[in-house]
Amino acid sequence: MSWWEFWKRKGAKPDFVQSFLESNESGIPSLRSINQLAFTVLDTETTGLDTSKDAILSFGALKIEQEKILVNQSVEWYPHAESHGKNTVAIHELVEIPNKLSREEFARQLLDYIGNSVLVGHHIGFDLEMLLAYLKPLGFTRFPNPVIDTFSFAIRLEVGPQADLSRIKKEDYSLDALCMRYEIELDDRHTAPGDALLTALLFLKLLKKGKKKGFKNFKDLMKNF
Amino acid sequence: MNVIVNRVAEFLKRFPPFSFLEKEDLYEVAQQVEIQYIEKGDTLFAQREPARPHFFVLKEGIIHLTEKSSKGEEIREICDEGDVFGVLALLGKRPYLLNSRVVQNSLIYAVPVSVFEKILEKNSRVALFFAAGFAAGQVVVRQDLSQGQRARGEFRKSTKDHSLLIFADQSEFKISEEVLSCSPETSIQTAAQLMAAAQVSSIIICDQNQFPLGILTDKDLRTRVLAKGISPDQPVSLVMTTPVVTRKKEDDFSTIYLTMIRNRLHHLVLTEDGSTQSPVNGLISDHDVFLSMGNSPAVLIHALMNTREVSEMRKIRDRAEQMLRYYLENEVSMDFVSSVMTEINDVIISQALMIAKEELRNQFPEMETIKFCFLSMGSEGREEQLLRTDLDNAIIYQDVPAGLAEKSREYFLMLGEQVIEILLACGFDPCPAKIMANNPDWIQPVSIWKNYFSEWILRPTPEALLKSSIFFDFRPVAGDSALAEELTLHIYQEIRKKKAFLSFMGTTALQTPPPLGFFKDFIVEKSGEHKDRFDLKARAMMPLTDLARLLVLSHEVVGINNTFKRFEKLAELEPSQSELFLQAGKAYEILMRMRALEGIEKGNNGRYLDPKSLGKIQRQLLKNTFSPISELQELIQIRFQLDYFRR
Repeated sequence: MSWWEFWKRKGAKPDFVQSFLESNESGIPSLRSINQLAFTVLDTETTGLDTSKDAILSFGALKIEQEKILVNQSVEWYPHAESHGKNTVAIHELVEIPNKLSREEFARQLLDYIGNSVLVGHHIGFDLEMLLAYLKPLGFTRFPNPVIDTFSFAIRLEVGPQADLSRIKKEDYSLDALCMRYEIELDDRHTAPGDALLTALLFLKLLKKGKKKGFKNFKDLMKNF
Repeated sequence: MNVIVNRVAEFLKRFPPFSFLEKEDLYEVAQQVEIQYIEKGDTLFAQREPARPHFFVLKEGIIHLTEKSSKGEEIREICDEGDVFGVLALLGKRPYLLNSRVVQNSLIYAVPVSVFEKILEKNSRVALFFAAGFAAGQVVVRQDLSQGQRARGEFRKSTKDHSLLIFADQSEFKISEEVLSCSPETSIQTAAQLMAAAQVSSIIICDQNQFPLGILTDKDLRTRVLAKGISPDQPVSLVMTTPVVTRKKEDDFSTIYLTMIRNRLHHLVLTEDGSTQSPVNGLISDHDVFLSMGNSPAVLIHALMNTREVSEMRKIRDRAEQMLRYYLENEVSMDFVSSVMTEINDVIISQALMIAKEELRNQFPEMETIKFCFLSMGSEGREEQLLRTDLDNAIIYQDVPAGLAEKSREYFLMLGEQVIEILLACGFDPCPAKIMANNPDWIQPVSIWKNYFSEWILRPTPEALLKSSIFFDFRPVAGDSALAEELTLHIYQEIRKKKAFLSFMGTTALQTPPPLGFFKDFIVEKSGEHKDRFDLKARAMMPLTDLARLLVLSHEVVGINNTFKRFEKLAELEPSQSELFLQAGKAYEILMRMRALEGIEKGNNGRYLDPKSLGKIQRQLLKNTFSPISELQELIQIRFQLDYFRR
């Protein structure tokens, strides 16, 4: 029995979870300009699409600050999981990954990394659910951070805030389709960091588009989210 | 390695200076990159803004580097994929000199200066890349052409080391295997008869086993027999050189060559085991060595001086071209290269003249004493003719009494015709404008030549100015150079009388078409045989030649014909402009090298380059050479008040 289970039993959370949550309590002032926002663009590769059964194979992310992608803050982590679905292992060729992180190591690094930044991803809801499922044993139940899904962000920018999602062709807003439309070279697909980079590039371009529509600050950005 | 870093690195490594980085350093740089997206119409940095802690690599898109001046905003450079810009931050941390305008949505990699500084320290090639101004928009061209030259050498594909080229052809050196020999008892006269019959210059004296005892050469016959009055009936053993130095055939060339040099031998005897206690099986003479050494200037000149065979002269000149290529590729100084090639060309001309004179001797005995001088003009006159491009030459002879006028006209025309035929046979191209020593117009006595120049100077018609650009670079190559000096003096006297002539010359120097178009691309030929090629001669070299000539004439400098030496001299004469002149000289050297290499590569005169075939560095280097041209043009515009003349 490790120490975090001890905390969990008492209904408390590990220190680093606690301090992460605290750092997010104050929230981001709505007038903070886009230029001053820190974003974490992330992606996960998983064994499948069922958040209750499938596991995370890898996690990739990078930071955007001052509207620049910081390559030196890009990460690629492999959280250790008890059981993987057998078939996906072959597909993703992630057979032997060295330096797998224990649940606690991963959680500690992840929360430290994302801090109180805005989380960005394509269909990020799924990634966050996968992460939550993995972090649940640590008493971590929710990401308090603001979240931007590039899928709906793109729709909002292209169609408008009142877009009727039922009338939108989903495949037009897949990561591939968007990258094509925004002239982003597709490669390294199907690795978590590769997709995170594509998403980040897409997000930079969407941000420019948003600024042209008059988005200036955090509040403008988060409307409809 | 992180997928993202890897991806950045994969892109960077395709472009200099990143292509020169070791993998480790490349990853270190890639890791620190910040990716930025900016849209059309944005400005990344503006003129006079303080330098950022990053420099930039364009991942995709197009960015113009522009300069605001009184004339408005001008484009200085166009950056596209892989271009490095904004490096002032890296070099001097000075404010930006240019604006970077985003013309097409661009993705930019920003590289922190701090990472790169470390790399600059340990990687000299990368440092040179920046020092030489290859990154876009550095506008530090003037200080850096010589660096550029050096850098280009560094970036050249590293080929094999040719430092011992002098020994490279050793497989080709020939050993005489049929060796003439005789016994020690043979009389000197018999030995000499044997040598004469075999047409050789030496005989080896052997014992009954064919072991070498000594050697007798032409020179020995002269110095030890005839000069000393020794009877030719004496045995050769009395006068032979003994013991002999021997080597074996299988020794490598450098051993053989060094043995000969150390022992001052003209002939080296080869034996089966290399000792004197073994039969003779070969002989090598310094003549053979010279021939096989081939590509060294001394050897080629020596060989030229020793032949009257035109076909042989041609072969030697062909070999000189190989040597030239080696020099050019190895960035041997242009001063040396052009001096050597000029010397070789001059020797060919002198030899041709000698051959022609001898043929005409019997026909024109009275011409023996008439002084004349063979003049080279154009590029050979300027000592810049590396390739066998157009011949430009003429003959000047002393004024003769009326009775000899007709005869001398006939003689010198025949002489000139012969020389030109020989030069053409040696592979030189004829002058399309027929400014050659076989054209009666350009074979004239001093007085007529003086009239020619006076006329051109007094009435600078466009045609006269065109002629001046060729004739003013005359240089005496063979014959009596006093005649040429007399002509030079006359020219300066005339110019002093009519200063305005220089202004007319100036207008020609400004007429050359600009090398770069509005989009800072090379202006290429629109049509014809050389469509889509860049005219290196007309657009880059001729302006520099014209400018140098004009300025040198204005200073009344005598005896310096070479364009880059003229610029050096000008730098000395005008210290305030020395930097500009030195850069112009360097630019000219670079252009000469480029043209000659292109010519050798393509087997033509190298005049027309395909800009697309140039690598990024070559292109930049070439563009860098243009900046002294426009600065010089501005300078002479003011100095010779050309605005007035052009109106």
